[in-house]
This record gives sequence, structure tokens and C-alpha cells, in this order.
Amino acid sequence: MDIDDVHTTRTQASHSRVLPIDENHPFDFDQYTSIYSGRGLVERLLFLIPQCPSLAVQATQLAMKHLKTMRDTFLYQRLLTAYDQASGNSPDAPLPPVNDVINIDPAWIEDVNRRNQEDRTKLEVELKTYSSNMIKESIRMAHRDLAEHYRAVGDYQSALKHYAKLREFCTTSQHVLDMCLSVLELLIEQRNYAHIPTYVFKAEPALDASTNALRSTSFATPSIHSAATPHAAATAAQATKDRLMNERQKTQTKLEVATGISHLGLGAYDKAAAAFLRAGSSNSLGTWSTKVIPPSDIAIYATLCALATYPRPQIKTQILENDTFVYSYLESESYVRELVENWISGRFKAVLEGLERHSTRHALSPHLAPHLHVLTQMIRSRAVALYFQPFATVKLEKMASAFGWNVDETEQEVVRLIGEGEVKGRVDRLGKILRAQEVNQRAELYARTMKVGQDMQSANRKLLLRLRLYVSFFIPASVFAPFILTWIILANRRT
Amino acid sequence: MAPSTSTAQPGPSGQGQSAHAPAEDKAQITTLEELINLLLSNRTPPQKNDALKTFAHKETRDALMAASLPNGADPLNVLSLADNTLGYLYILCARLHVPGAPPPTTAQLEGFCEGFVPGQARLAPDRITALAKGIIKASGDNLKLALSPLRHLVTRYPPNLSYLTNLHSIFLNLCVKTRYFSVALPILSVPILNVDKTLSELTYNDNLLYHYAGGVVFGALGRWKDAEEFFEIVVTSPAQTPAAIQLEALKKLTLVQLILYGKPVQPPKYTNATLIRLIKSTPYNNFARAYPQRVVALNALMTKDIDTYRTDQNIGLLQQVINRAPRWLIKKLTSTYLTLGLNDIGLQVGLETEEVRSVVLSMVEVGDINASISSDGTVTFVDATPQFTKTQVDNALLQAQAQSKLLHELERALNASKEYLAKALKHKDESWGGMEDDALYNTHPGGPSGPWAEESMYA
Repeated sequence: MDIDDVHTTRTQASHSRVLPIDENHPFDFDQYTSIYSGRGLVERLLFLIPQCPSLAVQATQLAMKHLKTMRDTFLYQRLLTAYDQASGNSPDAPLPPVNDVINIDPAWIEDVNRRNQEDRTKLEVELKTYSSNMIKESIRMAHRDLAEHYRAVGDYQSALKHYAKLREFCTTSQHVLDMCLSVLELLIEQRNYAHIPTYVFKAEPALDASTNALRSTSFATPSIHSAATPHAAATAAQATKDRLMNERQKTQTKLEVATGISHLGLGAYDKAAAAFLRAGSSNSLGTWSTKVIPPSDIAIYATLCALATYPRPQIKTQILENDTFVYSYLESESYVRELVENWISGRFKAVLEGLERHSTRHALSPHLAPHLHVLTQMIRSRAVALYFQPFATVKLEKMASAFGWNVDETEQEVVRLIGEGEVKGRVDRLGKILRAQEVNQRAELYARTMKVGQDMQSANRKLLLRLRLYVSFFIPASVFAPFILTWIILANRRT
Repeated sequence: MAPSTSTAQPGPSGQGQSAHAPAEDKAQITTLEELINLLLSNRTPPQKNDALKTFAHKETRDALMAASLPNGADPLNVLSLADNTLGYLYILCARLHVPGAPPPTTAQLEGFCEGFVPGQARLAPDRITALAKGIIKASGDNLKLALSPLRHLVTRYPPNLSYLTNLHSIFLNLCVKTRYFSVALPILSVPILNVDKTLSELTYNDNLLYHYAGGVVFGALGRWKDAEEFFEIVVTSPAQTPAAIQLEALKKLTLVQLILYGKPVQPPKYTNATLIRLIKSTPYNNFARAYPQRVVALNALMTKDIDTYRTDQNIGLLQQVINRAPRWLIKKLTSTYLTLGLNDIGLQVGLETEEVRSVVLSMVEVGDINASISSDGTVTFVDATPQFTKTQVDNALLQAQAQSKLLHELERALNASKEYLAKALKHKDESWGGMEDDALYNTHPGGPSGPWAEESMYA
């Protein structure tokens, strides 16, 4: 019960919390907004506005500008609510009223709504016609158009419904693949993490099948035409092969990224890191890099997850020595690279400071925000554990200075970690010293052996009684009894 | 359906002779005098038992036996216990159960229980049960009187104490009722290893009742480790649907384990799954998961479900669990700190400094922790290195060898038993196949295959 309370208050707090933007927490609004486009941008702005009242006016205007080009009037409502929240969150510096910031245009809303209605009717009529004509391909396209329409309007449920229906009319695996990717985009936008793996699993066999199909057709055709010039045929074959691999790589990267986001959303940080690190170069992301997730976000997600869960050598080989990852992603956020390098060389203070410095940037990423606190905590814990590893005794004072904390804070952290079993040591409260635990292996072994022996004897006794009871009261045990006994004997020998 | 193995030895010969003998006996014997004469004559115990069981009419048999001889003599004085345990037993039972009959004196009962011949008495398990119940009934309000005769009965009746009888559960119940816990200890100290339904009128519940009562006795005496074992036996006893007493035992087991280990322990894998599900929905589960905490918090948890605990009669046990909470909290601190001030401990545990001092002192005394308190109130914890002497190790080895020998004998006996061989022969093909599958998973390829491949790995 208590845990629940804490949890809810924390999530509430994170909703209404105002993020600091100052010299210590720099945040480049223009740069942040320039990497997104379309709906992705508006969604992120909506996420940002309540948390950063100082940027609210600017952000609201930008969002409005983009809204006008879109067809989702509901977003408009959300923008107003977000702005309201922002005003509520900044009691010190009151924001100007909404009307001064953006001009509300009821006529535009009505117009858009009307156009949406018309389009929908048109598309539905088309679908009906095609359905009665039973042309599979047309039905599929009608469903796809409807789904896309609903998506643009912001009705995700209906969009998903039509994507699902579309599936039975897919004739090639490429169609299935397209459908899966569209649904994945939708799910990521919706932050519906639990469903993402389902569509990734559906997409993978489709990807294999479509690659195979393409390969067989493209290899078959040139060999007939250009049999005379084997050299040209070889180059052509090589070219198609490259193109194929390229195509495949693109889709594969998207799938990996989707998996990574899903794992991150569900709190499986190690798996998330692995998935992000498997992704191909950022070129393969295509439109996803502005619509769904920019490479810089991938760099941040992957790095934080890896720092929180991976052992140091693995971070070195998989991040710093992974050329694709470094060039495609890590370069786009140079401070993230510094984080990793500091971590590898043991400058934990710099790592923690870097995390704090960019916390605003991290907290404004919708996928990462709910996990930021946990991840930071995990990274802190691991840092302390790693720092202490080579020492037999450490003065808490020295440790505090290495991490930039005060002594009490350090002690609390260390005590918590000892309780969780992350740090094997004990605190000398008076001398303020952390001492590594010395284990007398020999004595330990004796104690353990004795205990196991006693446990085994008592277990044998109990099992034997159980066997007797079976034999006496549950007669058919005559087959069964020898197995219990065999088990007892085996268990006995194992020790 | 013939009573197998243990009682069969006297059986065949005795039954063979008595097959024709009782026909005439039954016709002849109609009075107590004749019966006594027959008992005094030179017959085998099984024959006598037959006679005792079948003489006169069913309705009048007990009344006749409860009477005295025509010359006014007490038949019990005529019969000698060594030769006529059975006759003595039947008459005692009759007197205890026939309404209006003169009840046997305490001395007579004591005398019988101390002096009866077990081999003879085992011919009439029903009478022994009746006698045990009769003794308790006869003691009336003063249940304590029944303790001594019953103790002798339980100790002397079975071939040895590792055999479970229904007397065990009767006696243990009595001990718990009269709160004479230590009387039961000599019996409880021998673990039950043999169950023989033909030995006494044993029912399935006797096992549960005996071990449950045993757990209660050990709990009352503060021998938590033994209490844990007994409750665990009850909890893990095989059953299609768990008995209510098993759930009660699981509740007590949970509390006892909190006292012993300071945290809940997973019940063994072969515990009935229903039982585990049932306990999840009781307050005990919550309590165990919250443990250990500050006493205040635990008390609040207890008051929340006080009614449940009261109806289960576990308040006393629960109180002990709560009283031990500070000890577990302090014990936890020892794994985190090397030195700590008394008031720091007090803050963490929720006790006054002086209370902490006394708790720490008592923990050091008992050997729970290894620590010293300096004059300025600083506690220094030191790791206790477990020390074992050579004799301890030797003892452990001897025990292990004895156990392994016992298991080997058991295995041989089972492998040679008729039921097993018949079954093994019948299912030879299927079970062989299955076994080889097992072997495939468990042994390295190319290694010895067959049913005992596994064993060879550990040999």
C-alpha cells in the first residue's frame, strides 16, 4: 500500500513538475524542435509545454503553426489544456492569456471537421464498392486509406481496426510488412509499448519472405538477358544484392528501434539497450528519424540503458567500438559520447554531473521521461559499486568528493546499496569508513556443508514419512514410491 | 487383503488351529467363569483372542466381562498379566465402557500399561484404542491422571517409537489439553519413519493430529526448529484436497519461521498447491511479507486483523513474533555496519537506547550476533566465524553414513517387493522407454545409458 502511494505521488509529481532551464541545465529549444516534424513535433511540444512554462508561449505558437497544416482538431483542444497547465505551473511569472498567444479560429476548426467528415464518407463508400466487387487489392488499399485517414484525424482506435482488417487482404509479404510498419508507427506514437513486440514478430517472417521473393525474381531476370556478358551480369547481380540488403537493413533497423522503445517502455532496460545497439545506420531510419524517433534520442536511450545495466567491458565493445552506433547516433549528441567515455575511465562525478546537466533534455523525451528517475538511480548505484570494487577500505569523505556528494548523502547511498547487495562491504559509522567484507572461505564452507547436511537429513526424514503415508493410505503408490526413494537417494549423493 | 507382513507371522499358524477350535469354544463358553478357565488353560494368544472376541452373545459379552466371578473374586486378580495380557485388556475395556460396571482402579490401569506384553496386545488393536479412550474418559475432569498410563501405553505398544500409532495422536492431544508439554518430549524426539496400518487402528488424520499437536508442544516450549519440522510435516502430508488442519498448520508454520529466520520461507515444492493459494488470501501472508519492521508498525498490522488471529488462537505466537522483530532488525544492521551508536540503532529499530542495550546484550548472550558495547555507547559488530570441532564433523559423517545405509536397505527392500516387481514387469516396455528419455536429457552422449545412468554420475 505504501509503495503504491509513493508511486502515485511520484508520477503525479512528474506530471506537474517544472523542469529547470538555466545555466546549469541548458536546453536548446530551437535545436530540439528542429529535429522533429509533423505530428511527432506537435506531440513533443504538447509534452513540453506544461513542464516548461518559460518556453510555453514560444512552443504554443510553434505548435499552432504546425497544427494548421494538420487535420486533427482534437490536438487543438489538447494544446489549450497544455497551455492552461503551463500557466498553473508558473505562479511567479504569469503567462499571457491564450488569446494573445494564438488566435483561435472557430471557422477553421469547423472547416477541418467538415472536410474530415466528407473524406471519411467518401472513403467508406469506396470501401463498400470494392468489397462488393471482391477485388482483394482494392479492398486492401481502401482499408489502408481509411486507416491513414483516421490516423491523421487522431482516431487511433479506428485506424488500428482498419489496419487489422487490412491484413486478410494482403497478398504479398511486402504488404504485410507495410502494414506492420504503419501499425508500429501508430503504436509508438500512442506509447502502447506492450503491443509493439506482437507486430515486430509478425513483421520478421514477412521481412524474410519478401527479401527471398525479391532475390529470386531479381536474380532470375538478369541472367536471361545478359547471359552474353557474364561480367555485367555479375555486377548487376552484385548491385541488386546490395540494394536488397539495403532494403532489408532499413526495415530491420526500424524493427529493432521499435523493439527497443517497447522494452524501454516496459522497463526492460538491458533488452532495450541490446535492441538499440543492434540497429543499423541512421540513414535506414528514413522518415522515422523525424516522424517517430530521431537518432539523437536513440543515442540517449541506448546509452542510459546500457550504463544502467551493462558491465563496463561490454559498454566498451558494444558502444565505443561499435562504429555504426558511434557514427550514426552517438555523434549527433556529443555529450552522450562524453558520458560513455567518462564512465569507461571511471570519472563518475563527471558522469553524474552530465546526467544532471542534461536532465531537462531527457525529461522532455516522452518515451524516456517515466523511466528517467529509475535509470538515473540505477546508474548512480552502479557507479558507487564500481568505484568501491578495487578497494579494501575507503574513507567515506574521499568517496563523497569523488562523487560530488556530502558525507551523509554518501553514507545513505552506500547503506542502501549494501542492503540491496550491490556493494559487498560494511560501514564503520564512527570512523566513516567503508570496509570491504572479508569472508573466511574455509569456515564458510564448513558452515555451509554442515547446514546442507542437516537440511538433507531432515528432508530425507520427512520424505520417508511421506512415502510411508503414501504406501499406507494411497495404495496405487506402489509404482510411484520407488521414484520418491530414488529421488531421495540421488539428492543424498549430490551433497 | 490379508494383513501383510508384520502381523502375519503369528497369523497363519494361529488361524489354522483356531479355525476349528472356536466353533466348539463358542458353543461352550457362556459365563465369565468358563472364559477365565479357558484363558488359564494352555492356549496360544491368537486362540485366546478369538475366544474373547466371539464368546457368548454380542450384546451380553461386554456386560459379562465387566462382572465379577461368582465367588466374588476379581477376575483381574486371577489372571496374570504376563500370560494373559489379552484377557486383562478385554476385561479392563469392558469395565471402562459398560455403564454401571465398577470402574477399574488407577492402580490396575497403571499396572496394565506398565506390565502388558506388547506382542499379545497387538492382537487386539481395537481394544487398545478403546482402552486409551476409556482411560481418558475415566479420568474425568482430572485429565492429568491419564497422562502416565497413556505414556506407558504409547511407549510400549509399538515395536519401537518410530512406528506411528493412533495412540500417538491420542496421547499428544492429551498433553496439549492438560498443558503438560514436556511429558511428550521423549515420544516426540523419535521421528516417525514407519507407518503400519495393521499395527493399530491408525487413520490418515492421526498423522496430521499427531504432528500438529507435536508442533504445538514444541512451540509452547520454545523449541522453534522442532516446531517448524512438525508443522511442515503436517503441511506437506500428501492429500488430494488439503485438510483444514493443514491450513492451520501452515499458518502456524509461517509464524514459527518468522521467529526462526526473520523472514517467510518458501514451503517445499511438494506442498499442495491449493494450500499455498489459500494462505495467500489470509492476513498471515501480508504479515509475513511486512516482517520485520518496527514493533509499532507490526502491532498496527496485528490489530487490523485481530479477529482472525483470535479465532485462530495465534495471538500468543504472533506476540512472540512481534517481540522478536527488533532482533531481526538489529541483525540486519550487522550486515551493513561495523560500528554503530546505541541511539543510532534505537532510531533505526524504533526502541529507546536502554532497551536497545538490553536487546543487544541478550542477542550476544544467545549467540545471535557477535558484538561488543563500549563505554560511550558504541556497538562494534564482529563477524562470528563458525568453528567446528573434529567430533562434530565425525558425528555428522556418521549420521550421514547411517542415513545412506538406511536408504540403501530401503531401496533394496522396495526393489525386491512383490508389488514393485509385478508393476515393473507389466510396464517394462513403456517405463524403459521413458527412462531412456530421461537418461538422454541428463547424461552426456555416449555415456552409460539406461535407468541408472544418472546414479552413476553421482556415485
